Amino acid sequence: MVAASKQLQTPDWLLRRDAALCPCGCVGKRRKQSFVQKTLDGGADLLRQVMFSDDTAARRGLLQRVDARVKLVGLLGLVVVAALLKTIPALLVLYAATLALAVSSALPLGFFVKRVWLFVPIFTGIVLIPATLSVVTSGDIVLTLWYWNGQPEGFTRQGLLAAALVVCRVATSISLVVLLTLTTAWNRLLASLRALGVPRMFVLIIGMAYRYLFLLLGSITDMYEARRARTVGAERHDKEARRFVFATAGSLIGKSLVMSEEVHQAMTSRGYRGNARTLAQAHPRASDAAFLLVVAAFGVALIIAERLVAG
Amino acid sequence: MPDEIEQDPGAPDTVTTLLTCRDLHYAYLDRFLALDGVSIDVRRGEKLALLGANGCGKSTLLKILDGLIFADRGSYTAFGAEVTEDALEDEQMNTGFRSRIGFVFQNSDAQVFSPTVREELAFGPLQLGLNRDEAAARVDDVLNLLEITELAERAPFQLSGGQRKRVAIGTVLAMNPEVLLFDEPTANLDPRTAEWLTTLIEELAAADKTIVHATHDLDSLDRLADRGIVFGEDHRVAGEGPPARLLADRDLLLRVNLIHARSRLPVSSA
Repeated sequence: MVAASKQLQTPDWLLRRDAALCPCGCVGKRRKQSFVQKTLDGGADLLRQVMFSDDTAARRGLLQRVDARVKLVGLLGLVVVAALLKTIPALLVLYAATLALAVSSALPLGFFVKRVWLFVPIFTGIVLIPATLSVVTSGDIVLTLWYWNGQPEGFTRQGLLAAALVVCRVATSISLVVLLTLTTAWNRLLASLRALGVPRMFVLIIGMAYRYLFLLLGSITDMYEARRARTVGAERHDKEARRFVFATAGSLIGKSLVMSEEVHQAMTSRGYRGNARTLAQAHPRASDAAFLLVVAAFGVALIIAERLVAG
Repeated sequence: MPDEIEQDPGAPDTVTTLLTCRDLHYAYLDRFLALDGVSIDVRRGEKLALLGANGCGKSTLLKILDGLIFADRGSYTAFGAEVTEDALEDEQMNTGFRSRIGFVFQNSDAQVFSPTVREELAFGPLQLGLNRDEAAARVDDVLNLLEITELAERAPFQLSGGQRKRVAIGTVLAMNPEVLLFDEPTANLDPRTAEWLTTLIEELAAADKTIVHATHDLDSLDRLADRGIVFGEDHRVAGEGPPARLLADRDLLLRVNLIHARSRLPVSSA
């Protein structure tokens, strides 16, 4: 016997229309963004950044033409040079070279500089402040802040110079890494890690983690959008909100476990037995070798010149 | 009374019968029954549709046919050799089996896991032992065949649902399998992509590929299948026959929840 479709028993309240707005038409108070909106904005921002990096990597600039492996080796070599340089002028020359490379690679200079200098004060400037003070680095005080047992204490010339040296080194190193990421598509960058001897399995796992990051980001966005769609009034930062965040995390873990099983089945179905093989990259060209040579010569020349000037 | 599939194991003709399942039982976590005594044969060159409502066990059967999960009870023979977890541990058996059966998952996101479309398409051929040049040439051919050359360097998250489905199919075609398994191939596809896929399946069948697909979409059944096997919500085979005959059996379709009382069938009841 076929089950006939039952008549739905719609509750009365579902048939009534509730006034959504105050009948007097008054305007409500504006409130600050909730954690839901911030999460959604964060997700959208991450995607925007990735898209921007893909766009810059596709431009026709100097570094975009260089083989990813050669570029990786060359720019990481310059990071080592930055670590070996001991004077601020030499580091400034290297930093100027990164700016020249950014311009020749069709990167917006303002964005490039901002991206680097946004992080430097946060990660190094704050950490270095104590080192500039006489209580940590003794020397000639250039700005007195307080007296201790009758002795002036404050910023020392030696401390400030040491801090400036570190800041220059960090800024130059970050600039080189930003150059690499903005001019190289993620997949090529990943594949180029093989050139440095990173195990294939490690590269495969990073690649898959990156790929599914976006899928899970989509799931998070969906969940938060669903929450926002059902939220009347301001979002509260209370116990309920914390419960929602934990529930979201739990749901994501569940989804990722299911997905990981399915992905493994999809790999097994296509012959994977624990030893993944990947396509080889094209062979580097003569121009790539020339790039590497110029970078190496510049790095060595900079180190030698610094030593000669320093006497 | 619907046609019941022949349950007698007998000796299947391995020339015309590629895959043989006998009395398959499968339960998830030993509690949730998915298959209850299912026996089917898949013949060389046919288009076979596994029909049934959600949760009746179609996808589970496809995974068993692809050797991804193994029945709790019963036997599964592919190309004359019994397929068990132990048998697939054998490298030669594994490579032979995997190269002859391809599976297009319902969830393309699970199937497209590499950083780029090109890497994705090359994954299968490389695992099966093709050298890199051969795999690269095959990838180019598949990109052209599926008209997705412009997607070759794209990351999966930059693809639309339809594009991802094309790539997922490409990953299987690149391995040139003899049997293609599709799980709900036209589900969640826009009409143009669904039509493209239906035509592709017809062309693959015309090229002597054996097609097995799970679906509850009856609209394209006459094009996508020469034969259908209907699963009931009790996880058993409820009927079998050519699409026209199945579509004419309104009682059977109502009983297994493939249509409801107000459904209009693509083929009018006889």
